Amino acid sequence: MLKGVGCCMIFCGCLGLGIWYRNQLTGRVRALHSLRDILELLAGEVRYGRDTLPECCRHIAKYLPSPFEEAFLGIGSKMEDNTGITFEEAFREGVDSILAELPLKPGDRDDFLNFTRQTGFADSQMQLRAIEQGMEQLGATERKLEKENDEKCRMAVGLGVMGGLLLVLVLC
Amino acid sequence: MDNSILQLFPLQYRGIWQRTAKIQDSVQEIRLRAGRPVVLHRNGSEVFLDRDGKFIDICTDAYTVTERVLEEILEHICHYSPYAFEEDLKRGFVTVAGGHRVGVAGQAVLEPDGSIRTLKNISFLNIRVSHQKKGAADKVLPRMYRKGSLKNALIISPPGCGKTTLLRDLIRQVSDGNGYGRGMTVGVVDERSELAGSFLGRPQNDVGMRTDVLDGCPKETGMLLLLRSMSPEVIAIDELGSEGELKALRQASACGCRILATVHGEDREDVEHRFSLQTDFWDRMFEVFLILGKEEGKCVVKQILERGQRIC
Repeated sequence: MLKGVGCCMIFCGCLGLGIWYRNQLTGRVRALHSLRDILELLAGEVRYGRDTLPECCRHIAKYLPSPFEEAFLGIGSKMEDNTGITFEEAFREGVDSILAELPLKPGDRDDFLNFTRQTGFADSQMQLRAIEQGMEQLGATERKLEKENDEKCRMAVGLGVMGGLLLVLVLC
Repeated sequence: MDNSILQLFPLQYRGIWQRTAKIQDSVQEIRLRAGRPVVLHRNGSEVFLDRDGKFIDICTDAYTVTERVLEEILEHICHYSPYAFEEDLKRGFVTVAGGHRVGVAGQAVLEPDGSIRTLKNISFLNIRVSHQKKGAADKVLPRMYRKGSLKNALIISPPGCGKTTLLRDLIRQVSDGNGYGRGMTVGVVDERSELAGSFLGRPQNDVGMRTDVLDGCPKETGMLLLLRSMSPEVIAIDELGSEGELKALRQASACGCRILATVHGEDREDVEHRFSLQTDFWDRMFEVFLILGKEEGKCVVKQILERGQRIC
C-alpha cells in the first residue's frame, strides 16, 4: 500500500515537472504577447492622440492588467512631477521589477525597452517607427516560439510521464 | 516660493539654475544661445551666470551652453516627445508647466508653399518667465461695470505695457465674481497660450473658476467654436489682429456675449487707422477703452475712454 502511494507520488512529481516546464514555455509566449499589446496601445496613442510618451503611458494604463496598470500610471505621474529624470529612466524604473517576474529572456526585455532610448523625434512617424520596431521584434520571437513550442510542450509533458514511469520501475 | 523654472531643466543641469530659480520672480527672460554666454534679464538689466550659477556682470567668465545641452533642455521641456509639440514649434514657442514660454529659433524647414514645416538645429532658446499679477485689474474694475453688468472693453497698448497681464486678471476677476458684479462664464480663445499659459490643455495661470480655455486655436475659428460649444457670457481674446477676428467678435456680440479684448496700438486713433474701420464700429462694439502706456518706466493705465469720452 505504502509502496503504491510512493510510486504515485514519484509519478505525479515527474509529471508536474513536465507541466511546469511546458508552462514556462507557453508563459514566455503569453508574456511576449502582453508586451506587444502594450507597445501597440502606446503606438495607437502616439498615432491618434499625438500625446507625449508620459501621457500615452497614463492613458493606456486603464487598459492594462495589474501590475502594469499601476506601473504605467506611476510613469505618467513621475514625469508629470517633473523631477528631472528622463523618460527612459522613469519607464525602466517603472517596469523593471515587473519584467523581472515574467518568464522572459534578456533579449525580450531589450526589445520591449528599446524605444525608450529612441525619443526626441520631431516627427510622430519616427517615434511610431521606434515603437513598431519593438513590436516587430517581439512578434517575431513570439511566432518563432509558437512554432517550436508545440513540439517542445508535448515533449516536456511526455518526458515527465516517461521519467516518472522509469523511476517507478527502477525503484520497484 | 515659486521655483517652477527649475522644472525646465533636466536633472543634471538643475544645480546651476538653483540660484536663478530662487529669484525667478525678478527674472523676465533667460536667453540660451549655443556657444554663447547665458544671459538673464533681471529687473530690466542684463546679468550673466557663472559655472556655479552665480550672477556676474562680465561675460568673460560666463557659463555657456552647447548645442547638445540646448537639445537636451528642449527634449526635456517637450517631455521627450517633440512630435507632440510640432504645431507649437512651428509657431516658434512652447508653453510649459508654470505658464512660462520657451521661444525657439534655429534652421527652418519649409514646405513647398513656403510655410514652415518645422525648425531644426535649434540653437537659441528664450525662456520668458511667467509672472501672473493678481490684482492688476483692481484699479480699472469699477469702470468695467454698469449696475452690475459688464461692459465690452478694449485694452489698447504698445508692446510690453502689460495688456495681457491686465486682461488675464480681468478674466479671473470677472469669472470668479467681484464686488461690482457676479461671477460670469468666460470663454478664452488663447491662440498663443499667453493668457492661460496652458500646458497640455491645462491652464497654468489662474484664469478663474468659470473660465473655459480654448488653447492654441486661431481666434476667429475659436470664438465661433466657443460660442457653439460652451455658451460663454463673456468672450476674451488677446491681440486682435485681423478683420476676420473683428467679424467673429461682432458675431459673438450679436449673440449677447460681453467682449474683453486687447489690441496693439498707441491710442484709439492708431487702432482705427490700422483696421481702417469707422469710429462708429468701435463705439458700437466697445463701451470702454483702456489705454495703457509707460510713465517713468512703469506700466500704467493712461486713459479710460467710454464711448469716446475720457472718464479717467
